[in-house]
Amino acid sequence: MEKKKNRSFIYLKKYWQLYLLLLLPMVYLLVFKYSPMSYILIAFKEYKLNMSVFEMPWAAQNGMKYFIKAFKNRDFIVALRNTISLNLLDLIAGFPAPIIFALILNEIPFKKFKKTVQTVAYMPHFLSWVIISGLCLQLFAPSSGLVNMVINNLGFDSVPFLNSPNHWVATYILTGVWQSFGWGSIIYLAAIAGISPELYEAASVDGAGRFKKMWHITLPGIRPTIVVLLIMNLGNILGSGFDRPFAMQNPLVMEVAEVLSTFVYKNGIKGLQFSLTTAVGLFQSVVCLFFLLLSNWLSRRLGERGIW
Amino acid sequence: MKKKALTSMLVLAMAATTLGSVAHAEELVDGKFAETKHITVEIYDRGNDGGTDPTNNMYTDYIKQGMLEQYNVEVEFVAVPRWTEVDQINNLLAAGDAPDICLTYDYPTILQYANMGGVLDLSSYVEDYKDQLPNLWAWLGDANINYDKDPVEGTLWAIEGKRANIRRINTFVRQDWLDALGLETPTTLEEFEAVLVAFKDNAEALLGDDADKMVPFSTSYDIGWRAANLIESFLDANMTDKEFYVNGFDDRKFTENGTKEAIRVLNKWYNDGLIWKDFPLYGSGDTTEDDMIKSGYVGAFIHTWDYPYQPGVAITTTLHEIVGENADYVAIDCFKNNADKYAKYSYSSAGDRKIFFPTTNDEPLASLLYLDWISDPAHIEYLQLGDEGVTHTKLEDGSYAVMAAEAPAIMNSGQNIDMTITCNGLHLSDDEITVKSMANNYAGSDPEIVICAMTACLNDSIMQKAVNVGAIEAEAGVGNALSEKRDIVFDKAVVASVEEFDSVWDAGMEDYLNAGGQDIMDERLAKWEATFGDADMLP
Repeated sequence: MEKKKNRSFIYLKKYWQLYLLLLLPMVYLLVFKYSPMSYILIAFKEYKLNMSVFEMPWAAQNGMKYFIKAFKNRDFIVALRNTISLNLLDLIAGFPAPIIFALILNEIPFKKFKKTVQTVAYMPHFLSWVIISGLCLQLFAPSSGLVNMVINNLGFDSVPFLNSPNHWVATYILTGVWQSFGWGSIIYLAAIAGISPELYEAASVDGAGRFKKMWHITLPGIRPTIVVLLIMNLGNILGSGFDRPFAMQNPLVMEVAEVLSTFVYKNGIKGLQFSLTTAVGLFQSVVCLFFLLLSNWLSRRLGERGIW
Repeated sequence: MKKKALTSMLVLAMAATTLGSVAHAEELVDGKFAETKHITVEIYDRGNDGGTDPTNNMYTDYIKQGMLEQYNVEVEFVAVPRWTEVDQINNLLAAGDAPDICLTYDYPTILQYANMGGVLDLSSYVEDYKDQLPNLWAWLGDANINYDKDPVEGTLWAIEGKRANIRRINTFVRQDWLDALGLETPTTLEEFEAVLVAFKDNAEALLGDDADKMVPFSTSYDIGWRAANLIESFLDANMTDKEFYVNGFDDRKFTENGTKEAIRVLNKWYNDGLIWKDFPLYGSGDTTEDDMIKSGYVGAFIHTWDYPYQPGVAITTTLHEIVGENADYVAIDCFKNNADKYAKYSYSSAGDRKIFFPTTNDEPLASLLYLDWISDPAHIEYLQLGDEGVTHTKLEDGSYAVMAAEAPAIMNSGQNIDMTITCNGLHLSDDEITVKSMANNYAGSDPEIVICAMTACLNDSIMQKAVNVGAIEAEAGVGNALSEKRDIVFDKAVVASVEEFDSVWDAGMEDYLNAGGQDIMDERLAKWEATFGDADMLP
């Protein structure tokens, strides 16, 4: 006993600076991430402006009033459906894009060209969605958009890129891919750089061509990275950024464009239904957590490492 | 030692705040507070080009100085962006930082705040301090002060500001285009449509190389406002007060009988290529459409009664620069209802901005005195006119004409309506001078054209009657979501193909009603019947 105490004392004496350093981020997390979580309670309570969250009265139906209300609300169901389908489409179209891009980029022998392409591809990542949606309007509006003007001049009718639901979904997904594939490829390029060159040399000696090397060395080499990113993406299947859908949506496509984050904004922040929308947010987080755990478990079953 | 000093200071500060809140029914000494009070007041920030700091300019100084001298009250203004005011006030209230005097146009929002315990009940204050508030009572009267008083509970969450000017919406057409094509001013719906067709057919003659930019009729995503004259002309002239009230939650007349047929007309125009194709894509506050109008591509539109003349929007002045001095939008009357009248709704003199005090307001008396001060006719007159030779000149007939003002004297809102919160619209001590001056009030526009707009929007106009049967609970919290749904249905119905119009409209209406619209109408009906029995009309 005495010895153990002594050991940890020596340990702390040796490393106390590190723990002191750790204290700061921990305080940050506690103050800004954990203590606000007590307000999750308002999902189960009647929200009052002038009371602390612990004093507010409980909501009806054993505190579940707002969950029941949400699931009875057609708009919520539509937003839920849209969130899932837009995220799935994003995953299908957006997840392979950076991998393919990284593989192609890796095969380019001209250093300068490679760097230029890389830099250009990163750029859209730094544009805010408000700007991108402005660009979309300038390019794709039915009568004044540049692309549609070209199409009109070629003698065809305007394509409703932004004003018909199906076209809008395609525009939404593809602008998303365009905005993020360059940036997303960085992490894969880093993983590729970590693959031992000896493997490639050995494969060349064995007579493997470019595609064989890609398939049998590069891809397996970055597989752990792919899996980790896939897990994180799946964990976010019900999450949604706010700025992208909000900036891109317009009244004609609301039936496919309303997602949970914009639903929460409209009903919670603008409509002052804080309890209802906290319930929605809580539901969203719980489902996300479930997906995260599920995909992590799956990947471990399949022999990968998972994220913890 | 230092620590001790700090502690005692904290204790003192705490004691002071406690004492302050206890000494609630404080009396004025010679109409003045013995010690200086501090209040904060919401003011809209319109972010207009070349405007002044909304919280600190010549006019705020005038108010601050006046309040300090007269009541020993220090006034601090808190800027709130005009176009996102409700969101902003939500945040401020939730954070406990809301100004002592708040205002908004939306009563259900205030009711929602009140249900959350965030609003001060004013019913006792306005009565108890009646003697100290002569100007407020004289200007607003019982009608506006107690307009929102709950008939059952007796609570009063907000005081209604008064509209000095009840003009609402006009239809505008490019007079120079009518002249160029040798067309008469349209006086019926059919003639109006013929004019739009003529604009479209003669685009080359009117716009030359820009012919493809021609928009005969422009509108925005907010169809209910931007086609209001058309919609209101389709409503039954004999609609009962009861029917109007039951449908009255939506101020764009969405659920009224007749609206659908009005939108059908727009749908036809859209499919005939008479309406701007991209209108639903641009949201609130976007200036794309204004720029089109200013560039001279737009033949006609429906909007706020003085929209093309408002100096802040600068349509007429820009049009004169780009197109020519004779390019003008003139107000016309061409939508008749089934009683052969150019029926259109004006504002009622109440129902404008609603002023409320959040529960964090520790100075209700000082705040009410502020409202009283701002309702003093002399103060209203100064804030609306400014200084002679700087913001206005006095004409021979005694009326006032606005001048283009320089930096510190620029008014951020027309006639400083953002500051005269109890009064919206020009209100001078003399009524006749008020009317004459209004026409002079639009720098860059011909007063005759403005007078034409002033007359047109009151021609056969109907003033909405006030109905108070108590709070409608179903309205709380759904206003924003429902108006957004309404806009979606309007927009989708206008752009639908002619064959699909009925199905799009009916599906959208069903969705609107299911999302809470029906609950509101049911509750309104029930409360009407509880108050007025079988009566169809207000007593």
